[in-house]
Amino acid sequence: MHRFNSVFAGLALGLLGFYLGISVAALFRWMFGFEEVWERDLNVTIGYMFGLSGWLMGVGMWGRWGKEWFGLPTTPSQHDGWGRYFTFNTDHKVIGIQYGVTFLIVFFLAGALALLIRAELATNGLQFFDKAQYNSIMSLHGILMVAVAVGTVIGALGNYVVPLMIGAEDMAFPRLNALTYWMVPPAAVMLLTTPFVGGLEAGWTAYPPLSVVTQTGQTFFNLAIITVGLTSILGALNFLVTIVCMRAPGMTWGRLPVFVWSMFVTSWLALLYTQGFATAMLMVTLDRIGGMSFFDASNGGDPLLYEHVFWFYSHPAVYIMVIPGFGIALEVIAHFSRKPFYAYRYAVGAFMGILGLSGVVWAHHMFTSGMPNYLHGPFLIMTEAISVPTGLIFLCALGTIWMGRLWLTAPMLFAMAVIFNFACGGVTGIFLADVPTDIHLHDTYFVVAHFHYTIVGGEIFGLFAGIYYWFPKMTGRMYNERLAKLHFWWMFIGFNVTFMVMHWPGIQGMNRRIADYPEVYQPVNLAVSISAFLLGASFLVFIYNMINSWIRGEVAEANPWHARTLEWQTSSPPPLENFPVLPEVTGHPYDYGLPKPPHATFPQTGGAHAASPAGGGGGGGGGG
Amino acid sequence: MTRHVVSAVLLWALLTAVGEATIFLDWFPTVGSHEAEDFDRIFLILVAMGTPVFAFVIAVLAYAMLNFRSNDREETGATFLGVGTGPRVWVGLTAALAVFVMIFPGMTGLAALNKERSGNGWGEYDAELVVHAIGYQWFWEFEYPESGISVKGAGNELVLPVDTVIRFDVDAADVLHSYWIPAFRMKIDAVPGRTTFFTVKPTTEGNFNDDTAFRVQCAELCGLDHSGMQFPVRVVSQQEFKDWVDSKTVAAKGQ
Repeated sequence: MHRFNSVFAGLALGLLGFYLGISVAALFRWMFGFEEVWERDLNVTIGYMFGLSGWLMGVGMWGRWGKEWFGLPTTPSQHDGWGRYFTFNTDHKVIGIQYGVTFLIVFFLAGALALLIRAELATNGLQFFDKAQYNSIMSLHGILMVAVAVGTVIGALGNYVVPLMIGAEDMAFPRLNALTYWMVPPAAVMLLTTPFVGGLEAGWTAYPPLSVVTQTGQTFFNLAIITVGLTSILGALNFLVTIVCMRAPGMTWGRLPVFVWSMFVTSWLALLYTQGFATAMLMVTLDRIGGMSFFDASNGGDPLLYEHVFWFYSHPAVYIMVIPGFGIALEVIAHFSRKPFYAYRYAVGAFMGILGLSGVVWAHHMFTSGMPNYLHGPFLIMTEAISVPTGLIFLCALGTIWMGRLWLTAPMLFAMAVIFNFACGGVTGIFLADVPTDIHLHDTYFVVAHFHYTIVGGEIFGLFAGIYYWFPKMTGRMYNERLAKLHFWWMFIGFNVTFMVMHWPGIQGMNRRIADYPEVYQPVNLAVSISAFLLGASFLVFIYNMINSWIRGEVAEANPWHARTLEWQTSSPPPLENFPVLPEVTGHPYDYGLPKPPHATFPQTGGAHAASPAGGGGGGGGGG
Repeated sequence: MTRHVVSAVLLWALLTAVGEATIFLDWFPTVGSHEAEDFDRIFLILVAMGTPVFAFVIAVLAYAMLNFRSNDREETGATFLGVGTGPRVWVGLTAALAVFVMIFPGMTGLAALNKERSGNGWGEYDAELVVHAIGYQWFWEFEYPESGISVKGAGNELVLPVDTVIRFDVDAADVLHSYWIPAFRMKIDAVPGRTTFFTVKPTTEGNFNDDTAFRVQCAELCGLDHSGMQFPVRVVSQQEFKDWVDSKTVAAKGQ
């Protein structure tokens, strides 16, 4: 029964498909009379398409889904034991943990690459790597981290808690959900294989003409990105349908938890814009294997075309990365401040404003690209306009904290750090949105420091807030609070020292993506490298805490945080279909201290309504 | 409530004062051109404007952490909802601040750079000296069209006269590069298939050996030896520049 439902079957069919694809391509080339039947990039591309299909079918898409197309009975999902995490499982809670563990592994790999970069840059001259290796490491760090930033919060936490928070039994399309996860491993493998096929040298942005003329590694990169892009688009579609159609009775839009709002807006962004990146990558691939010359100026192409298409996705992508961070930060702050959410409607408005504006600011990445001058003014204005909705996030966060009774737990500390870090990243963003200052600062370490502040500071801190916050729900066990706080302060200080200092060499004239630099930047780079290693070491505490707590941690109650939202009103971890009876939503999720009804009640057999197991100060305790 | 507001505002004022003091730090590399003076001024204006914003966030977070923490799991905080004038005032203030930054120093600063509305570069097109810069993987080549001088390779320098309006026409031969001279704070990409430019007026004599800010640096990832794609710059007096041009042209004729 399980013949076509395992990772092994996936690997076997994947490899078979890969070689079949390569052979088919070679066969066609031979039939059309090519002297050389083997053209590495072309054959690999066709092979990958066949291999990806084989892998997906083997890993479970055939057994759980495809058989149905031919009127055959499908095999059900496995629901017990750790083995279920290695199957094509349709339970959103399993998929959330699959995403989480996979992306955390990728995160630590890419983090290790960052430390290799900092080791090389600790002093001027070439120490550990040659220039080709350096470019490869730097590019790989970039693209892996971009994938982590785009996929982790929505894939892991979004998948796990969104259906719980809206009172649904699962996502709208459970099998599509499983399919999106199982497209991630082949993409990761393709990216991690690039060092063995010539490496990468065009960075994560892969600007042509360089990305067209470079090694085969670039083709692997392109195929991986198109695959991850497909994951992103299909996942976004699933989230949108789930949030629109699957909310429990009474869960009006005005009662939706703010984290769900952030996932809703993130999904819109991913659905609307991801095709831009995929298109850009497809065009590079076609230039490489099909001689299309989209970007070859000597054949009528234009390299700037790529920059526009690429940034048309990749600027909204930074909001795909950071809005989930905002969502978690606001969610966590709301519960741990023990008071009503400040200006809830403005938080939703902020997300909507960012959604609207993020699509019309892309060319601020191109202020020095040589695009026509009249474009600079409009993009400057629209970019700075986005500070207004983003400012509302700060209003809501600070307004909620103000006069609260704060539980300074590890998730709360991480959430407050999101607000702190993003304030710094936001202020330095003005320097880059402002054309006169951007001309000098563009492509320097100032930019590197800025985007690490926004993405690591804004999203990754939020990710850790979310992991600690929902850890008891996901694993049924409590994490070690003391170690978590140690992790927080260690990471917070390491992060801020590293990246605050990093602005300086940028202003002084040190450009980014270089293996070596003039001697004058040596002392400051040594300082950055030392604190980067400090930052890197903080994750050892996290890893130890997670593994140890998952195995041996104290058993968690259903609602250790006394929170009002729905995911805490069921057991930890929740049963297969999330709630024993479907909840009825009767109030706002954040009415701590107000004499208002609880967020949700569970209808009991016979029609009587019981209050939720732990209303957490909602039932009319404090009063105003 | 009033006590908390007053204390937090005082903390904000203190942090802002400390932050604003940083504008007296020595932030920048050597000021080598008229355009660099503009950059440095606008940069410091933004530091001055950004500091109170960042300080506000730090002040509220720090004050709340110190004063509003609680270990009582049953306690709840104040119950205001943020539905009245508070958020509206916030939107008004942040929007006003955003519009202010867009106009000054944003659009006003840009007006000085966008002299050629449909051009692909910074500043006036008219110049007293034109230098043609071409990026290759991984070196720069320079041509002085008026005198026919060509400069490239090790041991050479890009020699420029001080107090002269110089336009660089920038081209790329193979992949994208970016033409950047940190001392001038000016940068424009070198794009295959289109000629970009920027115009600067050097104000300080200097050279790469004494100050690395006087270098042409490729600032767009261009492959293997991107980090090594530098070229030394020497800014000299106008008389020295004339002598240099003469020596080069005589040498060329003598061949």
